[in-house]
Amino acid sequence: MLRIEGLTAGYSAIPVLNGVSIKVDEGQFVAIVGPNGAGKTTLFKTISGIVQPTAGTITFKDHDLLAIRPSQRAHLGIAHVPEGRQVFPSLTVMENLEMGAMTEAGQRDWKHNIERIFEWLPILAERRGQFAGTLSGGQQQMLAIGRGLAGSPKLLMLDEPSMGLAPTIADFIFERLIEIRRQSNLTILLVEQRVAEALESADHGYVLEAGRVALEGNNETLRADDRIRKAYLGM
Amino acid sequence: MTQALEGFLQALSAGLLIGAVYGLMCVGLGLIFGVMRVINFAQGDFMMLGMYAAFYFFTAFGVQAAFGNNFGPFVAILLAGPVLAVFGYFVHLTLISRVSGMRTSSLEGEGHYAQLILTLGIALILQNGGLLVFGSVLASIRTPLSSSAWELGPMFYDVSVFINKARGIDAVVSLVTMLLLTLMITRSRIGKSLRAAADNPTAATYMGIDVDRAHRIAFALGTGITAIAGGLLATNYPFHPFVGVEYVIVMYAGVVLGGMGSLIGAFWGGMTIGLVQQMSTLILPTQLQNAAIFVVFLLIIFFRPQGFFGRMVERT
Repeated sequence: MLRIEGLTAGYSAIPVLNGVSIKVDEGQFVAIVGPNGAGKTTLFKTISGIVQPTAGTITFKDHDLLAIRPSQRAHLGIAHVPEGRQVFPSLTVMENLEMGAMTEAGQRDWKHNIERIFEWLPILAERRGQFAGTLSGGQQQMLAIGRGLAGSPKLLMLDEPSMGLAPTIADFIFERLIEIRRQSNLTILLVEQRVAEALESADHGYVLEAGRVALEGNNETLRADDRIRKAYLGM
Repeated sequence: MTQALEGFLQALSAGLLIGAVYGLMCVGLGLIFGVMRVINFAQGDFMMLGMYAAFYFFTAFGVQAAFGNNFGPFVAILLAGPVLAVFGYFVHLTLISRVSGMRTSSLEGEGHYAQLILTLGIALILQNGGLLVFGSVLASIRTPLSSSAWELGPMFYDVSVFINKARGIDAVVSLVTMLLLTLMITRSRIGKSLRAAADNPTAATYMGIDVDRAHRIAFALGTGITAIAGGLLATNYPFHPFVGVEYVIVMYAGVVLGGMGSLIGAFWGGMTIGLVQQMSTLILPTQLQNAAIFVVFLLIIFFRPQGFFGRMVERT
């Protein structure tokens, strides 16, 4: 579904990504883990078109993504739940969800989607009239995820959904993600620093270090890998 | 006693009426600033163009013949709005978009320096171009309504207040326009996407909102709104190609008073300025009207630096 090959990108000629290749198949849950500054967020921003690559290709469902304007990429079915949530603070919860449903598919499936989103994340139904800027961090994260789901995406990209959240809330978010995935069969690409949880939820994983793919494998091989156990899982 | 009360009520009503038009004028600028964060120095000159557009619609394009002297001017003014909106749309497309929006979002200062120079340049071109095309003679959109009044009263203590008919209609047109704009911004899909683009352009792009297009719509709307306000002012005040300079200061004062980025705030900011301007004539010579505006402005900003409706929050 998503195929990234030899991607090199960065800011003002300083490459953050150095020939990264990643593949996500339909229905797969893929996690990208790695330390701070490895280029995980830059990778997502390049897929969404906010950062321009200097080399490499991105293909999404037979479309050459780099030839498509950033604002059109959501309409192909890519939902980006950005780092640090980035909800629209002066819009209400409901209006934020409506913004997530700006795509054609989102318009068509609005009723159905909103029902499911409220079922998965009931706090959003409770707070629907409240301004998003007044929600707590965990609630904002749930809103950001709900907003991503509202567009009926084919690929959901989540950038560090646990960032800055209390461990119990982060656990709850992971639990919700697994449940959402189980019920919807959505293709998910997750970037995460909480390596243990990420590898546990995903089918397949990549370890990104200093802008390169250092390791790749299905979740069992990765979790059994000595380097990962030492460096990330503390075993 | 009766005379003092009458003077007070007269100034108050004049302030409210003129304030409604000033409010609309500020809303046009506030919309552009709120959505795009672009400081537009040419807004006063867009308003000047709106005045001339209404003037020529009225006198040269048959509106006077079709709608008569009483209501013709208002029809011409409402026509000038969309025309200036189209003008604003193309100014954004060809000029402003080159130094704003997603193109400059990653630059240092987000392109603000270039925006200041560009809009100042547009202002100069419009002023001097206006002088060439329209000439330096004072123009005005006169209607018999500008020199007749409704009498309210006599009320308590035999007090009556006179409402200038043209100003009364001006205020009603302003309020209706403001109401329609507010409904559009708060209720419609396009209005919501404008607010989302203002809140967080990057996240709006992730939603599939074309932020540059949202900016273009805001710029066009803001230009059209200010043009309507300009036309309304022109029914009472004569104008010339450099008139924008006088009003742009009032516009900025109103937007800052209301709180940068708040439309309803910009309206109340403009309203406050209209009220202060008219009420100050009760105790000060008319030459000091503008001085009074800025004394009150400084006082309000001293006690409430974020403006009436501004929020003291960090933008994410």
